[in-house]
Amino acid sequence: ERAAVQKAIIRVIPLKVEPIVLEGEFASVAEVTPAEGKLLQSHPLSLCNTSEDEHTESGFITIVKLEQPDRDPNPCLSLANKAKLAGERGARAILFDITDDESAADQLRKPRGLSQPVVLIRGHDAELLMGVVNKNREAHVKIEVKEPPAWPDYD
Amino acid sequence: VHPNVSQGCQGGCATCSDYNGCLSCKPRLFFVLERIGMKQRGVCLSSCPSGYYGTRYPDINKCAKCKADCDTCFTRNFCTKCKSGFYLHSGKCLEKCPDGLEANNHTMECASIVH
Repeated sequence: ERAAVQKAIIRVIPLKVEPIVLEGEFASVAEVTPAEGKLLQSHPLSLCNTSEDEHTESGFITIVKLEQPDRDPNPCLSLANKAKLAGERGARAILFDITDDESAADQLRKPRGLSQPVVLIRGHDAELLMGVVNKNREAHVKIEVKEPPAWPDYD
Repeated sequence: VHPNVSQGCQGGCATCSDYNGCLSCKPRLFFVLERIGMKQRGVCLSSCPSGYYGTRYPDINKCAKCKADCDTCFTRNFCTKCKSGFYLHSGKCLEKCPDGLEANNHTMECASIVH
């Protein structure tokens, strides 16, 4: 029986613009834990062993917009290993926009104990986040664990 | 047409998308990751920019950065011009020239001692 998905609250705080609150889900490939940092986009091909991401400053949260699988038929690494590599390069958390690649959710379901949280985002929430990226607005991101609703008590 | 693909791919892209830029390049071109602020995009160039060297792989040609002490290089381990404060010797950047050679502060290379 598939474990319940743990929801994530993603607070995006761009400079000089109203914050936006989005929702995603923690992928069980990694720990379910809060994180925060500066938002940085990573190209899917930057998370390959043959690419050095020139970013040396650590403490950021990276957003990767995944393309349709047929557009990258021979991925250099699995998504789990891409997430691992991003963490090794200083990312405090990895956000994957899986709007165009729903298969990513299955690929990132198998627990690997990665210490940096991996959060999946899709649809309208992803569109809003990528809108911030597209406008190249510096933004701070806070990822929180969404508490499940309290059970109503029937006395 | 893929919803995210801009109508025509920029430059030498073979495939691209609005958010990531180039995803693959036309034949013989080099794929380079370009960071502008918080965005990172793929671009395709006929040759690698200064400070980078090119490597051809079966499925993609990529540009990667030279070592930190090197300004321009032929490969990762063969520098052709060192950064300020370093002397070039056999493709390496050294803070001090080896014994038997003298530092030429004009060319910033280690040269044979002229008697």
